Amino acid sequence: MKQLILTLFLMATVCGLAADPSVIVYGQPVSSDLKVTLPLEEGSVKFVAIGDTGSGSRQQLELAKVMIDYREAIPYEFVLLMGDNLYGSEKPVDFKEKFEDPYRPILDQGVKFYASLGNHDESNQRHYELFNMNGEEYYRFTKGEVSFYALNSNYMDKRQIEWLEKELSKDRSRWKVAFFHHPPYSSGGKHGSSSSIRRIVEPIFIRHGVDVVFTGHDHFYERIKPQNGIFYFVTGAGGKLRRGDVKKNSPITAKAFDEDLHFMLVEITGDLMHFQVISRAGKTVDSGALPRRSP
Amino acid sequence: MKTVRRFCGILIFTALCTAVALAQPALSRPDKKIVSEFEKKAQRYVSLRNKVKIKAPKVSGTATPDEIYANKVVFLAAVRSARSTARVGDLFTPAAAEIFKRLIETEFTDIETSELRKAVLEADTSGVPLEINVAYPESKELVAMPSALLLTLPQLPKELRYRFIGHSLAILDRDNALIVDFMTDALP
Repeated sequence: MKQLILTLFLMATVCGLAADPSVIVYGQPVSSDLKVTLPLEEGSVKFVAIGDTGSGSRQQLELAKVMIDYREAIPYEFVLLMGDNLYGSEKPVDFKEKFEDPYRPILDQGVKFYASLGNHDESNQRHYELFNMNGEEYYRFTKGEVSFYALNSNYMDKRQIEWLEKELSKDRSRWKVAFFHHPPYSSGGKHGSSSSIRRIVEPIFIRHGVDVVFTGHDHFYERIKPQNGIFYFVTGAGGKLRRGDVKKNSPITAKAFDEDLHFMLVEITGDLMHFQVISRAGKTVDSGALPRRSP
Repeated sequence: MKTVRRFCGILIFTALCTAVALAQPALSRPDKKIVSEFEKKAQRYVSLRNKVKIKAPKVSGTATPDEIYANKVVFLAAVRSARSTARVGDLFTPAAAEIFKRLIETEFTDIETSELRKAVLEADTSGVPLEINVAYPESKELVAMPSALLLTLPQLPKELRYRFIGHSLAILDRDNALIVDFMTDALP
């Protein structure tokens, strides 16, 4: 019953009947250690979304440490990578220093990483066993009632568009989540919205009921106000930060954070997706819940 | 209900395919012939690289970084050696380059020019050698190709990729980053 009331309220807010039309926001940002706002329900789908990680910098390592610590409180099962998984060269030592070393403890615990490709990534990363791409630049996988679509926004050609359309048209999952590198919506000063990608994928997402889209490329966090009923997140500061890059007073920003690196903790249960965004300092900089589009 | 849904899905999919087909500009008969030649040459390159690929250590979808790197290095060397006589313009012949320039210009007219230029030139490709039969440096970022442009240009085999290097349009091998050919001043 409680769940039903919450869902109805969320639907009402999304329909613009409440002051904030996007999400329920769980209170104010907090600074206590390992603050958890997710419901942690049994059987829910719990994961991390993080992007632009592969710098091998001290900052990446420090954020990875927070992410690893958080797994004790929130037993997330897998991690979505938004691309730019390896900046600079891509020799075996780079895979080690920019990916395996920072995330070693959770890799050893069996946490799976699912990668998408950024503009700094060679296509050959699709073969890398720990990126779980199975040799494909774009692919789909399912966890519980959630379908995940990893896309290659560097090269959205006819083949990929047809594949996406075909996969989505037969997908009967309760939730549909897409993730890729270039953000269709972003308030970044350096890059900003990729209208080229948006023009192609957004009509497909709308037509097939994609609920949530995670992207990177811009090195900050941004929760976008729902666009055509779809929730978009930019989570591109997992290894690099572009401080102060979010345009002030952007009409599409619901919440932004460009002062430190971050990652997103996500839990999908029933018709709700809960999220909590954690900075390198361990602070919760955004949190809330949103409903799926097509109940 | 299921049947209706499936039927609607097929209809939408067909509509999309039609839209994509319509997005491709109409070419005159002589132009079509030139494009067809270009496509054959691209396919010939693919046949050659597939033939020498067997020299490289195999790489699966569950490869280690060492296996990926070994495959790339050996594969690259094998293709370079197999096409050591290749010349600039083998694929982008003057006639083909002319058509490409026209197609790109059309695209740039249809969509906001500044937007497409921004998308292409935002990537830092300085220092990437504009030379064929060498590898695109792995330390340099790749230009994300605007989808509208990809839908306009002749479709390449899946092993090849269009990429801008500054104002030049290059064709790269997806798996070993070899610059197969390029044409200058492609970006208006």
